[in-house]
Amino acid sequence: MSTHTLRDPREVIREEMSMHAAIRSALADGPLTVPQIAEAVGHPAEEVVYWVMGMRRYGHVVELPDDDEGWFPYALTSNGA
Amino acid sequence: MDYDVLVIGSGIGGMESSIKLGDMGYKVLLVEKEASVGGRMILLSKVFPTLDCASCISGPKMSSTINHPNITTKTYSEVSGIRRDATGTFHATVTEKPTFVDWAACTGCSDCQTACTVAVPDQFNSDLVARRAAYIAFPQAVPKKAVLEREGTSPCIGACPAGIKAHGYVSLVRNGKDEEAFQLVLDATPLVGTLGRACYAPCESECTRTKLEGPVPIRLIKRFAADQHYTAQGATPSGPAIEVAPPNGRSVVVVGSGPAGLTAAWQLARKGYAVTIVEKRAQPGGYLRHAIPAYRLPHDVVDADIANLTSIGVTIRCNEPVTDLAALKERDGFDAVIVATGTQDATAMNVPNEHVAGSVNGLDFLDDVANGKAPDLTGKKVVVVGGGNVAMDAARVCLRLGAAEAKVVYRRTRAEMPAHHVEADDAEAEGAVFEFLVAPIEVIADGGRVAGLRLQTMRLGEPDTSGRRSPEPVPGAQTSVACDMVISTIGMSPDATLYEQVAGAGRGGRIKVDPRTLQTDVPYLFAAGDVTTGATDITTAIGAGRRAAHMVDRWLNGQELTGFSALDGRLDVVGADQVLRRQTAYGHRNPVKGAVDLVPRPRDFHEIEAPLTPAEARSGAGSCLDCGVCSECQECVHACPADAIRMDQREKVSQVTVGAVVVSTGYKLFAADAKPEYGWGRYPNVITGMQMDRLLAPTRPYNTVLRPGDGKVPERIAYISCTGSRDQQVGNPLCSKVCCMYSIKQNQLIMGALPLADVTMHYMDMRAAGKRYDEFYEQAKDMGAQYIRGRVSGVTEKENGDLVLRYEDTEGTGRIVEAEYDLVVLAVGIQPNRDVERLFGDERLGLDEFFYVAEPSDELDPGVTDIPGVFVAGTASGAKDIVDSIVHAGAAVAQVAAHLERSKVASTAEVLA
Repeated sequence: MSTHTLRDPREVIREEMSMHAAIRSALADGPLTVPQIAEAVGHPAEEVVYWVMGMRRYGHVVELPDDDEGWFPYALTSNGA
Repeated sequence: MDYDVLVIGSGIGGMESSIKLGDMGYKVLLVEKEASVGGRMILLSKVFPTLDCASCISGPKMSSTINHPNITTKTYSEVSGIRRDATGTFHATVTEKPTFVDWAACTGCSDCQTACTVAVPDQFNSDLVARRAAYIAFPQAVPKKAVLEREGTSPCIGACPAGIKAHGYVSLVRNGKDEEAFQLVLDATPLVGTLGRACYAPCESECTRTKLEGPVPIRLIKRFAADQHYTAQGATPSGPAIEVAPPNGRSVVVVGSGPAGLTAAWQLARKGYAVTIVEKRAQPGGYLRHAIPAYRLPHDVVDADIANLTSIGVTIRCNEPVTDLAALKERDGFDAVIVATGTQDATAMNVPNEHVAGSVNGLDFLDDVANGKAPDLTGKKVVVVGGGNVAMDAARVCLRLGAAEAKVVYRRTRAEMPAHHVEADDAEAEGAVFEFLVAPIEVIADGGRVAGLRLQTMRLGEPDTSGRRSPEPVPGAQTSVACDMVISTIGMSPDATLYEQVAGAGRGGRIKVDPRTLQTDVPYLFAAGDVTTGATDITTAIGAGRRAAHMVDRWLNGQELTGFSALDGRLDVVGADQVLRRQTAYGHRNPVKGAVDLVPRPRDFHEIEAPLTPAEARSGAGSCLDCGVCSECQECVHACPADAIRMDQREKVSQVTVGAVVVSTGYKLFAADAKPEYGWGRYPNVITGMQMDRLLAPTRPYNTVLRPGDGKVPERIAYISCTGSRDQQVGNPLCSKVCCMYSIKQNQLIMGALPLADVTMHYMDMRAAGKRYDEFYEQAKDMGAQYIRGRVSGVTEKENGDLVLRYEDTEGTGRIVEAEYDLVVLAVGIQPNRDVERLFGDERLGLDEFFYVAEPSDELDPGVTDIPGVFVAGTASGAKDIVDSIVHAGAAVAQVAAHLERSKVASTAEVLA
């Protein structure tokens, strides 16, 4: 069973901007998958999906080829670094 | 008649209707509520059964619609109040919502949305990802123009008498743009550091977050931005990066260097005026330096703020009292004069012995302390008369100077005290004592010095004009208190001797001005701040300084004294309820508060409030609810290469007359959370069919089809058909007609995008009635999709985010089976768009029993409604796929044409008769 209640998407999305720094910091040493970023920033993975995809959309991060397990690593772009 | 036909809604039905009517030569007005035409179809991945790209089909239609010579398209507009007159002509009200972007200039470059600091759910991506408050609807938008989503003025901005964009700088700090935050405040006033400390923050009082767990620490965030800036600049600021116009050859003099004068000078200097401030004291700053104690506002902060002015060329001449305002123009040659001399005179107590040694007024006392002439109060007892902020400051300063006791006596009760409650609380925490309901009647003197204060006991009577209950003496009740010093702080007023002969003085000695223009009867003479209003506060004075500068600039340029948009004509303030309704629930955030070093009997003047740490500033700013949506941070204004942002744009309402109306308002999707047993909204890996279509579209929100719960590529994907359709439990017995087919389409697309994925559809029965539809279904099966008949009773989530479906295996064992998947897609159905009910005023548009627009004779007259001249096209009248919507729009077009031609024939017949 799910271990936590999902927050309202609007609330999670609103926090994207204040999470940029933490996610940038997590990616500073190299690309990470969503669960790895989630562990680094201490937030649930489904919230990190919103933030990473928002950052991807506006050019802060870019995906790298996926591994065999179905995970894409995300790396900082020159805009995001 | 303005147009032959009004078409409402620009989905495929509306576009098809408009294009065909336009081709026939009719003049069409097409009104679309979104910023782009195209409706939902443009957002789909592909269409069934051909798997043609939806954009490739929609795009040309959208382009044809916008560019058709007979079609006028109003996007981001809404129709309301359609009325039909006796002749059959329709009168419609069309509201063009403000986009806050000049679309003639906008190039669709996206720089505004990249720069924007506010993230909101993207409705064009089914809320799977964020967009920005500044946005272009979607990449294929037609027209491809930007919109700023502004629901109104954020309450924090609306509450600021200085017109400072609090939401904007909070949003910038949230984004780590501390210098931009500083610059945004600097755009309003040079006193950024001062406001970060000494402002009473009316913005925080109105902050919507207060309704949850506490306000955003707006003032401290401003202080944080200021401290960051000044720390980076060093002790001698090198000057702000603010825009300053080249010199325009004209000069303005400002008399007085308090917050109003400094702000007026700042604004005029930036417009290219040569500005001189003349100040009678030895140092500039007015009460910022000479009254507010350093423990609240350190002098080096005031110095740094004032250095902003001098860095752009403002001249400040101190020790220069002005006695002749007219001479400033006639003798010294200034083009305009602004009086900003504040409230310099302390109100006298008018009691015996008021002027003996040891009896002083609060302004003089604080001025002396600020300028190194503090008396030694060690062991002394001081009585402060009054209940305002100056009284609190005086009492706290006395304690710092060693006073054994600082007693505040006030004629009403604590509830009526004009001092800010924080100031009173802090004064008490530092050891000030209060005595209420007493008024001074005599300073007791002994040997020419203060020995005590005789007090009249008061009681509260009826409320006065301020709403506060008036104090009235209790007959025969008097007391006295022994003390060494009496400080009177019962009021302040302007010194009118400077201007009463030139411009006239009004109530309380205030200079007479037009309150909107701040111009006196002498055209070149303006005034700002407390000299016009009596004692107020820093932000009010700053707002007045901005207004005066604006009006002086317009007067000197021969323009009408209007257009002060910083405070006049703002959008309505967004209500707290309106903001809080946007979410179903709010997570708790511990409020960020400043740490104040309050100790009993402090003995020095060090700043008592600690700054926020960077983490606290980000966290505090992160609690902002973005009430107005757009924060007014101005980043889009700076980023736009076409200078197309127009924050002053407002809605336009127009009346149009038309001969016929086509309602093509489309449908709404079933709200999947109304089937809680399927877990949408509770389990992140349960999504809707529309969300999957977005994941499969070329302009998808993710890099490929991923689980929203963790970003993993799903390998086992299940569909649950008839979610919200053919379901009496949710009140919709109708089949939505498209869910089976769009699910099969997505099944095929997923197998193309994710070749290793297994796709299973759980269905009630398969409805594939249409040309090549069943073949399409068989093709999906041949590709490997599995189809299991049986209604799913529920979905549960495992700890790893996988989902377990429970269903009856009706075609196999007949048992209840559980199957595990990575991702579940709910094939949600179509529901009527009941917004249509608001369109017509006098006559109600008939709806069928399911609330779709009724076609009374749909078998003989498709598209005809029960209002003559009103027609319906597409899914507004019932669930249809794209092909059927186009066919139905064609039928509606034929009905419209027949109606219009019949009207012409009737008119001609009347003329001939």
